[in-house]
Amino acid sequence: MDRRTVISALGGGMAASVAGCLTREEGGSDDGVLRVATYDSMVNTENSAGPWLKETFEADHDAEIEWTVPDQGLNQYISREQENADIDVDVYFGLNVDDLVRIDDELGEGGLLQELEIDRLDNAERVRDDLEMGDPHGRVLPYDTGYISLVYDERRVDEPETLEELTGPGYEDALLAQNAQGSDPGRAFLLWTIDAYGEDGYLDYWRDLEDNGVRVLDDWTESYSGAYMEGERSMVVSYSTDQVYANEYDYEMSRHQVAFPNGQGYANPEGMGLFADASDVDIAYDFFEFVLSSDAQAELAQRNVQFPAVGDEHVDLDELFAQYAHVPPEPVTLGYDRLQGNVDEWVDDWAREFAGQ
Amino acid sequence: MSAPDRHRLRSRLEQRALSLSALATAAILAVMLYLPVGVVFVEAVLEAGRPTLAHVRAVLTDPFYVGALADIVAEPLAIRTHLESLAGWLGAVSVSVAVVRPIPGLDLPVPWLALETPGVRWGLFGFTAYQAALSTVASVALGLPAAYILATYEFQGRQTLRSLTILPFVLPGIMVAVGFYAMFGRAGTLNGLLGVVGLGPYPFIEWNPLAIVIVAHAFYNAPLVARVTVAAWESVDRRAVETARSLGAGPRRAFRDVVVPQLVPAILTGALLTFIFTFMTFPIVLALGGLQLATVEVWIYDRVRQLAYSEAAALAVLETLLSLGLTYAYLRYESAQSGLARSAAAPARRPLFPDLRTALSPRRLAIVGYGLIALVVFVGPLASLVIGSLTDGSGFTLRHYAFLIERQLEGASYQTLPWVAIRNSVLFGIATLVVAVPMGVVVSAVTARAGRAGAVVDALAMLPLAVSGVVFGIGLLQGLVFGIPLPGGWRFQVTGAVAIVAAHAVAAYPFVTRNVSPLLSNLDPAMVESARALGASRARALRDIELPLVASGIVAGAAFAFAISIGEFSSTVILAGGGDTYTMPVAVERYLGRRSGPAIAMGTVLLVVTAASFVVVDRVGGRFER
Repeated sequence: MDRRTVISALGGGMAASVAGCLTREEGGSDDGVLRVATYDSMVNTENSAGPWLKETFEADHDAEIEWTVPDQGLNQYISREQENADIDVDVYFGLNVDDLVRIDDELGEGGLLQELEIDRLDNAERVRDDLEMGDPHGRVLPYDTGYISLVYDERRVDEPETLEELTGPGYEDALLAQNAQGSDPGRAFLLWTIDAYGEDGYLDYWRDLEDNGVRVLDDWTESYSGAYMEGERSMVVSYSTDQVYANEYDYEMSRHQVAFPNGQGYANPEGMGLFADASDVDIAYDFFEFVLSSDAQAELAQRNVQFPAVGDEHVDLDELFAQYAHVPPEPVTLGYDRLQGNVDEWVDDWAREFAGQ
Repeated sequence: MSAPDRHRLRSRLEQRALSLSALATAAILAVMLYLPVGVVFVEAVLEAGRPTLAHVRAVLTDPFYVGALADIVAEPLAIRTHLESLAGWLGAVSVSVAVVRPIPGLDLPVPWLALETPGVRWGLFGFTAYQAALSTVASVALGLPAAYILATYEFQGRQTLRSLTILPFVLPGIMVAVGFYAMFGRAGTLNGLLGVVGLGPYPFIEWNPLAIVIVAHAFYNAPLVARVTVAAWESVDRRAVETARSLGAGPRRAFRDVVVPQLVPAILTGALLTFIFTFMTFPIVLALGGLQLATVEVWIYDRVRQLAYSEAAALAVLETLLSLGLTYAYLRYESAQSGLARSAAAPARRPLFPDLRTALSPRRLAIVGYGLIALVVFVGPLASLVIGSLTDGSGFTLRHYAFLIERQLEGASYQTLPWVAIRNSVLFGIATLVVAVPMGVVVSAVTARAGRAGAVVDALAMLPLAVSGVVFGIGLLQGLVFGIPLPGGWRFQVTGAVAIVAAHAVAAYPFVTRNVSPLLSNLDPAMVESARALGASRARALRDIELPLVASGIVAGAAFAFAISIGEFSSTVILAGGGDTYTMPVAVERYLGRRSGPAIAMGTVLLVVTAASFVVVDRVGGRFER
């Protein structure tokens, strides 16, 4: 066979296999397998919580957990719903308030996920009140939370007592933040400033920050693992659990000090929800109940390096974790009501302040 | 089948071979390119099923996007007002020296702009084009000396170095950013080295974020310029140079009149590709420069994330039109340059450092100087990345690699396993090469001498480069992964390994075309005509006469095809879905947690595997070249 025939054969073969991809929708089935969509770090990074949750749950229940990581996160399922393509997962693990707002913007009030029957879950009442996401349709149950704070190098700057100080001479060219358009900590920090200065005042605050040399990088990895760790700047918007890692990887604690300006930190609770067309609903409730149990809450917090969603009396944390993971005196967060109809515009106005001038 | 029948069938197949290959190429393009891109682009011009220009108009009348152009688009007929404001603007222009221009990052001295103009708002598109232009200049400036050295000097390891030039091209953006911080950061490798001789530390990145972004763009694209130019340089006919010399031309004159005209199309090709790439740059600007340096693609990504597809599509359509327009302008120029190269007896190479005296000549010293710059810009970030994979707070560690091995040995099926990623990357790379090279050559052959119409087809064939990667990804997701609904509850879906290879081939074949076309159009048409007159089919003439003469372009294109496949991220991750068809860049992204060590270790594996593959690809390819 000479080359040209190979080429045409290859082309023909590909056309044939492509044309063969006709499929027919099949509904989900009650097969004892709970399909759970989540984000990468739940299953793929060092010491992830996902495998532990799966194994421990399966040991006690006559059911199987199947993790899946959708590439576009929850957007993947919102688009599927819009396109009438079938959704082949039962549970979403890793929802935040933003996600609920986006679901309702795109699919109408109370879409995509079903209202949870809280009565079926004994452990639901253990969840701390301050993590309430405020969904009017009761679709989500928090399982852990992170707090956004500032991480600073105490050899180069003093601990900032207030957000206002960050615009002053002591913090000139000091702060690294992240793009609120796409980065979770970046968005949390922006919302924190909106909570502090109001929707009429936050842009003025950010103009002052910009004059003082704030750098807004793409996401957490660049700003932390890139810029901050290579000594570019003396302060970065990051998680309040920073010292847990610093301790584990032998970094100098003086460069990993955690500050809560205004005595606050922004809480980013993460929740779980059940898709409207889910099969295996009973297993899903068993799984939710299990996730909120004391053992699972401790493991989840420590492996995910986040804080438990249940009250302190329901969970025993490692001593080291308790020592290095800091909780802000006053957690702040904007709930569903404040974000709905506003958040996209807030973020867009903010981003336009920086770009394209 | 009798022998004459078989012969007739064979010759008929041969007659049709070119058209059949062209058809197959068109089929792949229709499914893997036009369908997904169309699915999204159509959103730009539809509102509730009706055609509308409202979305495009909204972008074109928003000063944030298009700057001063917005007023003109808003009221195109108010010519008097526009003329008045133009006159007012011109009246305020004064020629003076050393003033700041009203664009972010103008700390870079740009001499021809040193006249005072009143503030013109350039908008997101203006800034995007501005940084792309600067990046293109930097990439050409850094790439050409490399091409010169690789094409005209002989030295130990030249072949390997030539193979490795393409390496930066495959690195995920996040790895480049981390590598740049590790190299140029205040506590980075470069400051560490300078500290040894008592200098620094210098805030290289903080000094001028725009400059560092441009250097990062050059890191990606200068190798591309070099590679394309070397391929053209190696196919310059040595005998033409010798003829010029024997007719009395000095070496300089012979170079200017014989070599340069054959290099210019290649250099411009490299510049064009660089401009288009950096025009659509995404992670690197925000990762190194920050939101002040945001480009159009950043906004497209944001709109896609908000599921505001019509605005994203309107932005993407404009981006694509700009890129294609530029490509068309260039191709019109390229097709006007028909050279008369007959064969390629490659130019002889001189030894780089034959003896000490030559080694100290100004030219050789300049080469050493360039080598040092290249060491800092290209080797520095890569080496710093490797160092980063081997260290943590307490110094040297192997724990990041231990993680990879442990994950491979003990990982569950739903986790991302390193070996699966390596295997997939290499297999997809080879398959992409096998599919993309014929596709690219066919497009070149079809358009090589078709004049104006050819330039249109050729420009359209560059579409994969001119479409926003984010938008292409969404198109694949909506068009092929979710599937197109058909009557009877059926859906037309395309996913999995075949789809990934096809998507990679679609992204890669323009590189083959752009490497082959300039050489093909440089050939003397008389040679093909003689072959045809002697009874050879068009396909046969292509195979037996033209392809051997442009082999260096094909090998360069093949290397690019392989590189594109290895480095491709966005469509791979979408088509792979939850299956086990993920590749190395996807694995890098998935291992990225609150500690970057494991991801950087995977990035290092990506580098090593790719480097080894390129050496092999080039060695094998070199056998075809001569």
